[in-house]
Amino acid sequence: MEAASIEAADTSHGHGDHHGPPVAHHSSTVDAQTLGMLLFIVSEIMVFGGFFTAYFFIRIVNGNPWPAEGEELPQLIAGFNTAVLLSSSVTMHWALEAAKHGNRRGMKLGMLATLLLGSTFLTVQINEYVHLGFAPYNSAQASIFYGLTGLHGAHVFIGLTLLLFATVRVFKGHFTPDEHQGIEVPGIYWHFVDVMWVIVYVSVYIL
Amino acid sequence: MPAQLKTAGWYRAAAFTLLGLAFSFSLTTLIRSLYGYTPLIDGAAITIVSMIAVPFFFLVGLGAFDYWFYWASGRPTRAEDHASHGAHSWRDYFKVNTDHKVIGVQYVCTTFFFMFIGGLMAMMVRAELAAPGSQFVDGQDYNSLFSVHASLMIFLFIVPVFAGLANYVLPLMIGAPDMAFPRLNALSFWLLPIAGTLMTGSFLMPGGAFASGWTAYAPLSTTQPLGQMCFSIGVQFAGASSIATALNFLVTIITMRAPGMSFWRMPLLVWANFATSLLVVIATPFIAASQFFVLLDVALGFHFFDATIGEGRQGNVVMYQHVFWFYSHPAVYIMMLPGFGIVSEIISVKSRKPIFGYRMMAFSLLAIVLLGFTVWAHHMFVSGMQDWIRVPMMITTAIIAVPTGIKIFSWLGTLWKGVIHLDTPMLFALGFLTMFTLGGISGVMLAMVPFDIHVSDTYFIVAHIHYVLFGGSLFTIFAGVYFWFPKMTGRMYNEKLGKIHFWATFVFFNLTFAPMHVIGIQGMPRRVADYADQFAAWNFAISIASFFLGLSSLIFLYNMVNSWRNGKKAESNPYRSLTLEWQVSSPPPIFNFDEIPTVVGGPYEYGVPGAVHAIMGSAKPEPVAAAVGSNTESQEG
Repeated sequence: MEAASIEAADTSHGHGDHHGPPVAHHSSTVDAQTLGMLLFIVSEIMVFGGFFTAYFFIRIVNGNPWPAEGEELPQLIAGFNTAVLLSSSVTMHWALEAAKHGNRRGMKLGMLATLLLGSTFLTVQINEYVHLGFAPYNSAQASIFYGLTGLHGAHVFIGLTLLLFATVRVFKGHFTPDEHQGIEVPGIYWHFVDVMWVIVYVSVYIL
Repeated sequence: MPAQLKTAGWYRAAAFTLLGLAFSFSLTTLIRSLYGYTPLIDGAAITIVSMIAVPFFFLVGLGAFDYWFYWASGRPTRAEDHASHGAHSWRDYFKVNTDHKVIGVQYVCTTFFFMFIGGLMAMMVRAELAAPGSQFVDGQDYNSLFSVHASLMIFLFIVPVFAGLANYVLPLMIGAPDMAFPRLNALSFWLLPIAGTLMTGSFLMPGGAFASGWTAYAPLSTTQPLGQMCFSIGVQFAGASSIATALNFLVTIITMRAPGMSFWRMPLLVWANFATSLLVVIATPFIAASQFFVLLDVALGFHFFDATIGEGRQGNVVMYQHVFWFYSHPAVYIMMLPGFGIVSEIISVKSRKPIFGYRMMAFSLLAIVLLGFTVWAHHMFVSGMQDWIRVPMMITTAIIAVPTGIKIFSWLGTLWKGVIHLDTPMLFALGFLTMFTLGGISGVMLAMVPFDIHVSDTYFIVAHIHYVLFGGSLFTIFAGVYFWFPKMTGRMYNEKLGKIHFWATFVFFNLTFAPMHVIGIQGMPRRVADYADQFAAWNFAISIASFFLGLSSLIFLYNMVNSWRNGKKAESNPYRSLTLEWQVSSPPPIFNFDEIPTVVGGPYEYGVPGAVHAIMGSAKPEPVAAAVGSNTESQEG
């Protein structure tokens, strides 16, 4: 005989609203927020993959000169910007380590420094757009240049927004050595944004 | 300010929608004045900005972001009082609700709503094609009809309806009280009606609805009237919804399984959604990218697809197809794998036998996920891409039939010498098995480069896609909806009407789509409102059959509505199924389980003496034999 299962004593009392849900069983050592962020990053990488496909077709398959005739890319300023963004990853890590050790002053300084460096990056990039001397509609190369750097800029903005939330909570006294997911998870995203910039920088400005 | 505008709900949503329109108007006009563009007030620009911005205002008004605003500002988040769990009246289904069961029902009802709209458009397409020449609509309107039909069916019906069914049963099946991110789950649902409204509403746009097919190839799509933007932006919302749900499923499956529910004890529906979610997370961003390109080309004058701008600075048109199909080929597996899962459940339960080749079933799902990323260019044999890509793509496409074949034969192996219960869900499952096999075979034919070139853009393609998406996906959706109807509503459906529905659908489906193979090979082009007189007889017959096929879905609608209101009360486990969702009451208690059950065996041990899948209540994991003999003991928990 097949037995579906062994029934609990009274299934009907489950209808009542008198108690909350049962505590879910944790079937993995990874916590849900971190895993969710990692999967989100996978799909973010694929968005960049789509844009890099366009880059590949316009530059390699079409054989267009890069950058287009009469256009110039400021390698040095963007290189300085790269250093700014990479150092923000270091300050982000500092903030997280401070949170793990319960160092509130380090948390505040680390988060503020990260926000400051991230905003500097965006400001420099917008300034670069203004002074580039070409617009997205000048050539397909210009389109994908603005496409890739703009997509990345949007991600910096999203990352900064997430970090701003975390910073507000840091200043309101949240997070302890045991409970610092609110810094760690946006931190993962921030490191992803930084690594992605290195790839964008190398393929757009250097190669 | 009246209280109605302060609390989350439809009044506040309406107010925020108006606010969003005002915002879009001012933002666009401000930017245009800064750049000195004329005219200052540009209807098209404002419309495009509104289509992107207003949905977010609407969602804020509806309350989808309330919790996160509290969280982000560091205010104490309101204690979770579970007020948003469960539905007490039909009104609760129109609110932001975090209960996966409510969201599941919201999904299924919304998606079927769009299925009927899309179906109506198919009827209009067939009415136009009933005779050669022009009947009811002109060429552009005809193109709009089939474009919106396909887009609604794909992005608003088949992809999300599977997410809806899985939303309902998947957490129950793995013994979880809810999804991993309930608020994200609610948000993903509410993105859907937005996408649907955009796509359906595109008929109101000046110049008509988008008319470039659901594939929206550039540069056709970058030179169309404003309605095209409804597709580009609508797809972004549907895609975001689908990515968020997939991410949610993956995290739920990985982190929230009941004790003892190892990966190799998961029901195949869970496996199928695991595989599908991987595909969604990895592939869907590509269609987002392709539509970003179109959007940027149209709205901001970028040149991704402009081949005429000049030597040394031109864009690439074939690139659109590569990026698009890199999503849209995996998307056909996104539209099929969850159906495989549904059918695996039904065939095993209804033939009272363990599923044949359980591990191979799971492995073949993962094989399809991997191979699914290696075949996209078989849609592009006539696109003018590099010739050398063709043969590798032909080979991988033929290979992908192998894991699919493994599944077909495993289902047949499950049926072999089983005690087969031929009720409605099983009929649809068997209908799927036969029809999908036919669609799969024409798929392998299409993999062959010479044959594909011969029938490219003919009705053979239309026949193939409807055999896999209607005979395949939709049959599994019907099977799943009938199968879980008792669990979701607590009522039994009408078996007799269900069987009439199946036979009417099955017969008229074949009468509608089988002849398309013939006229396709003879060369009748698809996506054209008119055709040569030699195809008149077949087309008239197809149109008549298709109207009956359309009518058959009304039987389904009547059965569902009437049974939900007046149906016989359902038992908790009417099919004597082993999986966990059937071990709780119908409909399930508000928090699914009083205590998380303990899984002690596989999910498909039908006909195996003494086999137990799970112990409900607080029983400790025990040896199977002891657990069977200790009925009274576990009841005390």
